[in-house]
Amino acid sequence: MSSPINTSWRVARLYLRIADWSLIPLYFLMVVALYGAFLYAPTEREMGDVQRIFYFHVGVAWNCFLAFFGVFLGGVAYLITRKRSWDHLAASCVEVGVVFTTMVLTTGPIWAKPIWNTWWPWGDPRIMTTMVLWLIYVAYLMLRSSLPEGETKYKYCAVFGIIGFLDVPIVWFSIRWWRTIHPVVITSSGAELEPEMIHALFVSVIAMTVLCVTLVMLRMAMRLNSSMAEELTHS
Amino acid sequence: MGPGTWNAPGGRSDKNMNPIALTWVLVGKDLKIEYRSRQAYLTTVFFAILILVIFNFAFDPGSPATREAASGILWVALLFPGIIRLNRSFQVEMEEGTLYGLILSPADRGVLFLGKLLANWLFLMVVDLLVFLAFVIVYNFSFSTQLLWIVLLIVLSALGFSAVGTLLGAMVSTIRTREVLLPVLLFPIILPIILPAVSGTQEILLAQEIQSLNRSVELLVAFDLIYLAAGYLLFDYVVAD
Repeated sequence: MSSPINTSWRVARLYLRIADWSLIPLYFLMVVALYGAFLYAPTEREMGDVQRIFYFHVGVAWNCFLAFFGVFLGGVAYLITRKRSWDHLAASCVEVGVVFTTMVLTTGPIWAKPIWNTWWPWGDPRIMTTMVLWLIYVAYLMLRSSLPEGETKYKYCAVFGIIGFLDVPIVWFSIRWWRTIHPVVITSSGAELEPEMIHALFVSVIAMTVLCVTLVMLRMAMRLNSSMAEELTHS
Repeated sequence: MGPGTWNAPGGRSDKNMNPIALTWVLVGKDLKIEYRSRQAYLTTVFFAILILVIFNFAFDPGSPATREAASGILWVALLFPGIIRLNRSFQVEMEEGTLYGLILSPADRGVLFLGKLLANWLFLMVVDLLVFLAFVIVYNFSFSTQLLWIVLLIVLSALGFSAVGTLLGAMVSTIRTREVLLPVLLFPIILPIILPAVSGTQEILLAQEIQSLNRSVELLVAFDLIYLAAGYLLFDYVVAD
């Protein structure tokens, strides 16, 4: 009745159900986010329409850190508990995190070229940190694909996920003393934005977060299913 | 150290083998291997000097632009040969199955990490200082006490490099594509030590007003401490079974 495979099957179904249920609000949120960014929010006075990429850029960027924190968390929990589901979480978060970081590194230059007159301003802490993050987690995927399936693989990936995440604050501070040109829109004293812009940003951030969680759930369900299939063929 | 009745080589009982003594036994073993084979450090130093010479061909020697870029050239020449060292560090352990012997010994895994780390660090420092000497001569910088600051930067960054490198080197030692994988994994992680090292070195070489040097040293120390602690705690997971 409650054999391990039975439980795994139930958990996989739960992941899929969460992903399924989040699809309906996700469609709704995405449409509202698009409407908010393109029609509802006013055009920025100095930058013009290109500023509208900001809503997606920020929404996606915050999820990179969320996803990579998931990798760190999954890694630590895996090393402590040795439960494979933690490895599923870490691996799925890396995949989604790398895709999201790629989106940040694509939308950033599109905005930066007309505004700063350069695609890639070296020396900005946020840009450099994001790029180093991207490099670290692409390396993680390479490590993952070059190891044979087994406990060693999950352990090594957990270790690399942890030391990669420890690097984030150090990268940040190591570049910080260089002059930063990245706009700081939201400071501790409040946001320097029109109320409509804040609404649009808010919806976009929520929509991207739901997208991120949904994708992670789908990948986790996929991983659980494939490990169950493996178990069945070997037993 | 675990409990047990293990006797260290030379008939010393485990009572005398405190973790520090044990670490030095490991360091001594590694350095003895390097000293006797000679080939490794000669190859490493030679490779680094080759890099210096190639850059001298690529840039117009003596031009101000080359002096500007000199700090970057030095650090490339220090980093790439370091990879050779790290690959070798665990390769020699794998060849005759020494690593399994070390793991089976009652020594704490953290001590194994410290032993390998110190050996790598000492090795890299010797190589790096030789390369630095060659660099000063080939690039026509004059010797002054200011250069001791660069030596400090080299010593600190070699420690961070060895800390991350020892952990990752142990990890990839069993993988077939380790020679390629190690730099791919290592370089993104150690990027934050390259930046302060290069900018600190540049300030000294160009005899500029010293601005970021204190920060560089602080950052390198912070990096070293974080990755020493992480390596000490995580090494257990990368060598067990």
